[in-house]
Amino acid sequence: MMYYQLLGPEITVAVLGLLVLAGSLLLPSHGKNALGYLTTIGLAAVLLAVILNFSREAIFFAGVYQIDMYANFFRLLFLSAALLIMLMSSRYTGLFGERKSEWFSFMLFATLGMMIMVAAGDLIMVYVGLELMTISFYILTAYLLNDRWSAEAGLKYLLIGAMSSAVLLFGMSLIYACSGSTVFTEIYQALLAGSERPALLAGIVMMMAGLGFKISVVPFHMWTPDIYQGAPTPVTAYLAVASKAAGFAVLVRILLIAFPPTSLDWKLILAVLAALTIIIGNLTALPQTNVKRMLAYSSIAQAGYILVGLVAANTYGLKGVLFYAMTYVFANVAAFAVTAVVEVAEGNAELESFNGLGRRAPMPAAVMTICLLSLAGIPPMAGFAGKLYLFSGAIQGGYLWLAFIGLLMSMISVYYYLHVAKAMYIGISSREDRVLLPVPVRIALWICLLGTILMGVYPGPLSELTELAVQLFSAV
Amino acid sequence: MIGLNHYLLLGTVLFGIGAYGVFAKRNAIAVLMSIELMLNAVNVNFVAINRFLQPAAGMGQLFAIFVIVVAAAEVAVGLALIISIYRHRKSVDLNDFNLLKW
Amino acid sequence: MLIQDVMTFSWLIPVLPFLAFALIGLFLHRWPKWSAACSIAAIGVSFFLSVLIAVEIFGGDPGRAFEMSVRWLEMPGLKVDMGILIDPLTAVMLLVVTTVALLVQIYSLGYMEGDPGRASYFAYQSIFAGSMLGLVMASNFGQIFVFWELVGMCSYLLIGFWFGRPSARDAAIKAFVTNRIGDFGFLLGILFLIIVFGTLNFGELAALIPDYHNLAVLLPIAVLLFFGPVGKSAQFPLHVWLPDAMEGPTPVSALIHAATMVAAGVYLIARAFFIFSQVPQAMLLIALVGGFTALLAATIALVQNDIKRILAYSTLSQLGYMVMAMGVGAMTAGMFHLRTHAFFKGLLFLAAGSVIHALHGEQDIWKMGGLAKKMPITTWTFVIGALALAGIPPLAGFWSKDEILLGAFAGGYTGLYLLGSLVAFMTAFYMFRLIFIAFFGVSKGAEQAHESPPVMTGPLVILAALSIGAGFVGSPWMGNVFGLYISTPGAVHHPVNPTIMAVSSLLALAGIGLAWLIYQKQAVSAEKLRQRWPALYHVFLNKYYVDEFYAWLGKVFVDAGARVLEWVDLKIINGAVNGLAYLTGSSGRTLRYAVNGQVQSYAIWVMVGLVLLLATVLKTVFTVLV
Repeated sequence: MMYYQLLGPEITVAVLGLLVLAGSLLLPSHGKNALGYLTTIGLAAVLLAVILNFSREAIFFAGVYQIDMYANFFRLLFLSAALLIMLMSSRYTGLFGERKSEWFSFMLFATLGMMIMVAAGDLIMVYVGLELMTISFYILTAYLLNDRWSAEAGLKYLLIGAMSSAVLLFGMSLIYACSGSTVFTEIYQALLAGSERPALLAGIVMMMAGLGFKISVVPFHMWTPDIYQGAPTPVTAYLAVASKAAGFAVLVRILLIAFPPTSLDWKLILAVLAALTIIIGNLTALPQTNVKRMLAYSSIAQAGYILVGLVAANTYGLKGVLFYAMTYVFANVAAFAVTAVVEVAEGNAELESFNGLGRRAPMPAAVMTICLLSLAGIPPMAGFAGKLYLFSGAIQGGYLWLAFIGLLMSMISVYYYLHVAKAMYIGISSREDRVLLPVPVRIALWICLLGTILMGVYPGPLSELTELAVQLFSAV
Repeated sequence: MIGLNHYLLLGTVLFGIGAYGVFAKRNAIAVLMSIELMLNAVNVNFVAINRFLQPAAGMGQLFAIFVIVVAAAEVAVGLALIISIYRHRKSVDLNDFNLLKW
Repeated sequence: MLIQDVMTFSWLIPVLPFLAFALIGLFLHRWPKWSAACSIAAIGVSFFLSVLIAVEIFGGDPGRAFEMSVRWLEMPGLKVDMGILIDPLTAVMLLVVTTVALLVQIYSLGYMEGDPGRASYFAYQSIFAGSMLGLVMASNFGQIFVFWELVGMCSYLLIGFWFGRPSARDAAIKAFVTNRIGDFGFLLGILFLIIVFGTLNFGELAALIPDYHNLAVLLPIAVLLFFGPVGKSAQFPLHVWLPDAMEGPTPVSALIHAATMVAAGVYLIARAFFIFSQVPQAMLLIALVGGFTALLAATIALVQNDIKRILAYSTLSQLGYMVMAMGVGAMTAGMFHLRTHAFFKGLLFLAAGSVIHALHGEQDIWKMGGLAKKMPITTWTFVIGALALAGIPPLAGFWSKDEILLGAFAGGYTGLYLLGSLVAFMTAFYMFRLIFIAFFGVSKGAEQAHESPPVMTGPLVILAALSIGAGFVGSPWMGNVFGLYISTPGAVHHPVNPTIMAVSSLLALAGIGLAWLIYQKQAVSAEKLRQRWPALYHVFLNKYYVDEFYAWLGKVFVDAGARVLEWVDLKIINGAVNGLAYLTGSSGRTLRYAVNGQVQSYAIWVMVGLVLLLATVLKTVFTVLV
């Protein structure tokens, strides 16, 4: 018995995306505003449906597609992130002019791609979902066509992204050669029986590299700052929180479900990469003067922290991966939302533009400060609880040195995060007028603030949710 | 007799040539074509593996078709981007695209 | 049946004031009236729920308790719960706190009338009420510590409420710093508890501790835990902050620095009595510290001239009494005194506030005089409070004070009993010295004084009624109901001793009589007494020079130490830190140039990384092949 209604979220998002696309072509210009509302309401409805069916699991097409709590957790994450982005971009989309309404449909397609990725139980499915997401992002990144930075970022992202896809695919083809299948569970069975070692190892490494590109692990991270800086800010935010989470979701599922532990000891490799990612991300963030670029390096560092949980690969570490990814959504969306507000008001996201924001817009400045502190892992914000899980998982898994590097670099990160706070509260601005703050942005900021603080002071419920989601791997 | 290994070697060489093109070509369109070469190398792999290891099932061929379709979409978006960027800068030389750095 | 219904909603009691705080802070702060209404409504509902809970608890068996908790945090080797525990002890504290808080907030409507910071005042009042209620309902040490710090923060904010005055700022900082010392010890004690026993839950600890006989561990824990009460309940030697805390608005002094927060230390000793009672040495220390504080503060109160400072030293002295009661094992008596004291001391402070309000901020008792005719309600409620404090039967203070003296005497602590009796005498004396000077006698510049509005006198009357009646639940007439419910293993209770009752009543009367002779009849000249023992007078007046001693200590040790450390810091640590920072910063500046903007170089990095990874992984395989 297949519960096809559990595929409802994917189908709804796909239909919604097509509807919005058609609407933006057919509707007269004054009717196009409705499409934004339609998208937001549609996403909210799908989110509600996922929440209500959270614990229902089903396997489709002999394992090719699986809806389980792990997938549901990430669907929850993507849909919440997409909703928050919709809210925060309400004013920013004005910069897109006539093409504003198509933007919504590309956001929907990107979301659909991620939802497919996390539920995929088959390499082909992973690839299709990944490309749906990535191609949507190529377009979204270059959406400010008249902006030289945006166009350049889009082209760079496309070239390097397509090349990474090729690497990923080459790895997949080698796995296929070794196992004779593309379905995770069948690959696992086949590899358990033994196979060609060099090809298998090369395949796994190439897949790790391909996915490492998506989550910007050193040395596959170089594109991140350029693309984050050049892309429209809401896109950057979505790229940072959702695309990265999707990459992690797939990486964790493939490494733990498709490959038997005997095939390759990937933990040490990932541990070294995680350490490098944390160090290089944090150090390079220090001298940045553009807040979007600083947040890009910060997101590289954060990817390193999350990787620590995967390296530990025990319950606490994996819980930490999910927990941190979720807290990261709220903190990062808020930071980018405030950046977008500043960008709309000042025309750029340089650090000087944040000067005096504490007086000109007290609420966004306060939210920004709190969320940056959460990213730095200062209690009682959510980021602290997340890091606690990640690092205690690492210590339990015997990677004390990795946890130590993580803690050390977290301390350094406080410097560049507080740099922004310093500009906002101590920096002197020539302008004293209040910064305009539309209601949807205000709502998004409130949600992010509440999420960041609530998950920090009372991590219990989210912790239980992550516990349910990672049950999948306890059997392995 | 030409076996699977020969095809895999061909795939790998094609992949390498494509990668070299990505590094060395300065024209954005040429780089895009090099990437296509890399993707087609993968397709050679998939089809050959399917033919030699599992002639009865069609998974590899299926995968290759998906790759071709997705690559087409990628190229479409890529060319569109290159055209739009050419309108502003009158150039498709990747060396010129370094506004975003450091 | 009903107990479950009420209890399941009991978490609302602390949450409502917190909500009021959030509402005021976020939305209502522009409208002081609405802020006040919101704050009072929240504490009103909490009061109502507390009454329901008290009815449930005291309507049933004495052993009745209710506990519920949720998992707050789970880590490898650490589980932290958040929960509420409602037993008779909690129920009593809930009643006391909500009653006094509600009355004080209503009173504040009149007292703070026209103050520009009213909205934030009520916001602070709400967060204080919420934290205090959370503290008394906490089911484990971790949670109690969180709320312990929160009430400390509220105290700091409210002492410094008129932060325009330098003295208020200094007092706030002094309170904060002094409490830090106590809280640090308290936190260490809690950490030791979790290391040794692996849990912080009161019930679980109470089950574990009786079987744990290693005194070498238990004694340090008990002493460290006692640091908390020493700071918060202002016991010697950390008592110096409380008199200065009178810089805050008077209703705050009544609520926080007389009735509730400073009693939290005593409550903590009662709550953790199962630990303290296992360690006789710690109990002795507690008794001695309490007794000494009681005497010290009472002697200082004899010669003070500021109405609020007299009351402050009286509070110190009474807190010492309660702590002493805990130390001699009379936990029931201590809690009983806490409860009656909350009512009559709250009353005294509010009445004093009414006087200060009427005299536009005048606090020197020598500049008052003759207030009885102008402010009859204030005067007579103040007298009732003073009689209760002095321990005149049958007012509330008599019963509770008598219980403590009885506990000390019957427990074999004769010295402490005598000390307690002496303090009782002094208490009666200094309270009536204040009354005869300020309220009776000749008016000195208090002509324009007038009775306060009903919104202020109403709470006074209610508290006066409580000061008269609240003691009966612990009296032999009602079979000592209080002691039936509030008791734990290890706490002792003694049968009534009429002699002790008679002696303490006579001493109180003697104190009042002496005050009357000196300050009303002026049969004995106060001036002559002063000249007779000038040294003693100055020692009392200058509070035993403890503040000066601390200042000297600070100067000698802290300043000298600071100078040494400054040198180390500047020359050695600063150099190292700056060097490290430079290294970090420059490595960042170098690394950023790797990202050179050329997308093809990024591609090369990807490939180089991939090849390196492949080489590492395949190294073993290839060595085999070669």
